[in-house]
Amino acid sequence: MTDNDTSRLRLLLGRLNPLGLPLRQKIGVFGLAFLIAMPLLVSLPVVGRFVVMILPASSWELGLYNLAAALFFGMFAMSWDAVSGYTGEISFGHGLFFAVGGYTSAMLNMGHGLSPWVSVLGGVLLAAVAGVMIGVPALRIEGPYLSLVTLVAPLILLQVFIYMSDIFGGEQGLGNPENLVGLGFVSNYFLALGLFLAVFVLLWALTRSNTGSILTAIREDENAVSAAGLSTAKFKIFAFVLSGAIGGLAGAAYVHTPVGSPTPSELMSVIINVEVIIAAVLGGMGTIVGAALGGLFVAMLPDYLNLVEFTVPVIGKSISEMSFFLFAIVTLFLLNIFPGGVLRWGIALGRRATGRDGGGKEGMAADGGQSPEDAGTNPVAQTMERYQEYYDNMFGGDDK
Amino acid sequence: MASTLSVALTIIVQAAMISALYALIAIGFTLIFGVGGVLNLAHGATITMGAFSAYYAGQLGLGLPGAVLASVAVPAIFAGLLYLGMVKRLEEEPIMVMITTLVVSVVIEQAIVVFEGTTSRSIPQLIEGQFSLAGATFQNLLGVMFVVSWIIIGLLFLFVNYTKTGKGILAVSMSHKGASLVGIQSSRINLITWIIAGAFAGIAGLFLGSWLTADFAMGQAQLVLSFSIVVVGGIGSIRGSVVGAYLIGFLEIATTNLISSSLQGLAPLVVLVVVLLVKPEGLFGREFAE
Repeated sequence: MTDNDTSRLRLLLGRLNPLGLPLRQKIGVFGLAFLIAMPLLVSLPVVGRFVVMILPASSWELGLYNLAAALFFGMFAMSWDAVSGYTGEISFGHGLFFAVGGYTSAMLNMGHGLSPWVSVLGGVLLAAVAGVMIGVPALRIEGPYLSLVTLVAPLILLQVFIYMSDIFGGEQGLGNPENLVGLGFVSNYFLALGLFLAVFVLLWALTRSNTGSILTAIREDENAVSAAGLSTAKFKIFAFVLSGAIGGLAGAAYVHTPVGSPTPSELMSVIINVEVIIAAVLGGMGTIVGAALGGLFVAMLPDYLNLVEFTVPVIGKSISEMSFFLFAIVTLFLLNIFPGGVLRWGIALGRRATGRDGGGKEGMAADGGQSPEDAGTNPVAQTMERYQEYYDNMFGGDDK
Repeated sequence: MASTLSVALTIIVQAAMISALYALIAIGFTLIFGVGGVLNLAHGATITMGAFSAYYAGQLGLGLPGAVLASVAVPAIFAGLLYLGMVKRLEEEPIMVMITTLVVSVVIEQAIVVFEGTTSRSIPQLIEGQFSLAGATFQNLLGVMFVVSWIIIGLLFLFVNYTKTGKGILAVSMSHKGASLVGIQSSRINLITWIIAGAFAGIAGLFLGSWLTADFAMGQAQLVLSFSIVVVGGIGSIRGSVVGAYLIGFLEIATTNLISSSLQGLAPLVVLVVVLLVKPEGLFGREFAE
């Protein structure tokens, strides 16, 4: 075999062969394969028991339900990351989109008898419209002010739901709309996993495309993007609509599974809005992968803590009673230790360990070719810089 | 049948007293934003903390003075520690301050859920009885609230405008660099601001909990209310916050009395969105920067 043949063969296989991928992508592919094979593995004799052990529940059926719920939450986090992680406009009320999607679909299904497969589309459509409604003000007001609008928007919606509780069911929500694929543990798991992968692939491809570069550029320097003759308004609205539609899709599909129902506490409560941000920031803002992993982590940690049968001696409370409290404390610590997100830290660590930190030799970088250690170009730093600008303008910019 | 005039008078008196509470709620938030340039999303939780400090003081049998003292001191110390421990090193990164304080508020709320559960608690009554004015009766508590609110806001005005430390606060809010050039330590000023803001939040929590009840999530609505008031009045302006509090207070009492009581809480949100879209700098802009 000549060198030429070898290189051509490697080029061909390199794209497809998981062994040729960088380490972190190998881990990712392995993780995905594990998620897909999970329902099969649980029926195996020895491996099955091991899988049940690591599932966030006491039995595999409940484990799959919890995992499905976590996958939906991962979609919420990815939809947040698509707009806030990339354009740098922080949304404090992404629950608005989940609620618009979920409620629309549930009402179309329950009130008008549409099949859930059709009503989900209605939910997506209306959530996209909600994306326009948030995106258009985003052109006029920016930074902390926009964050305020996004914080308040779901609260207004909640007030409307409570005011017209005969239509929207108030705090109690809408009951149980028809399920997309019945009550099956495995089928609902695959529904969630399929949607999760579809959303992931779509957002991953999009944020690595030219559009993704432009969104990143908006985060870095909006004036430079305008100067290059690109309409920042168009791309910002696009990001909001895309994010709204995907958040709506996740919300709509979620209410049509046994793991979720159209209630304010599940779709748009302050806690949900906060958790989505925590998930994406913990995982790593502006990476999509980080948001997906962060979403799974944030959704499953309380499930795992619920399993711990340990009573803290002095206060006489069990771990499971305090799961959400402990989650918040863990989050606080992680935020202080890894302000750039765990994913970036993990990649940097992996590169150092495998001796590959020689400045972006790998084919693809997490966000358009920047190395994670480069503080000046990481999304968190850029977003902060952006906000700093608004503050400086607001406070008479003589501080610089 | 009550005449229109007496209904109007009742609404005005009621609104004046509620607005006084709103001013107390919002002022700490606007102070921190005006001086430090960061949004303290744990402000609502600080208010909750004030109410529960009074509750615990009552449980321990410290009596009314103990409850009042605890509701002021505990949130003030907490706010000071929050600033020193977490906010200080993130000061150049407002977005991380927002996220960190948001998580801190979740920790506080969940701690209350763990130790006290989700049921609401009644805290020691500051004052009982009722008084009548303009043909209607009101709780004495609300009257006291109105008076106390004006007294301490007045004191804050005097403090900021006539003491050396207060002038330092004004200077830092105008320009960090300018303040440090004339020898003002901005981190010390910020610490003082956070402590004052915590104390105000504690007093607000004491009145709020005494008037209604205290529960773990009571701070969430107050945080949104503070947002609305501060944005309406102009971010960073104390005077604007007081005016914003009265504007929103009157609007809310009018809508709940005249239209429907289920609209409670909607007025500030709608006002907030309208102001943000039409006049984002608020009614008063930044008085400090003028």
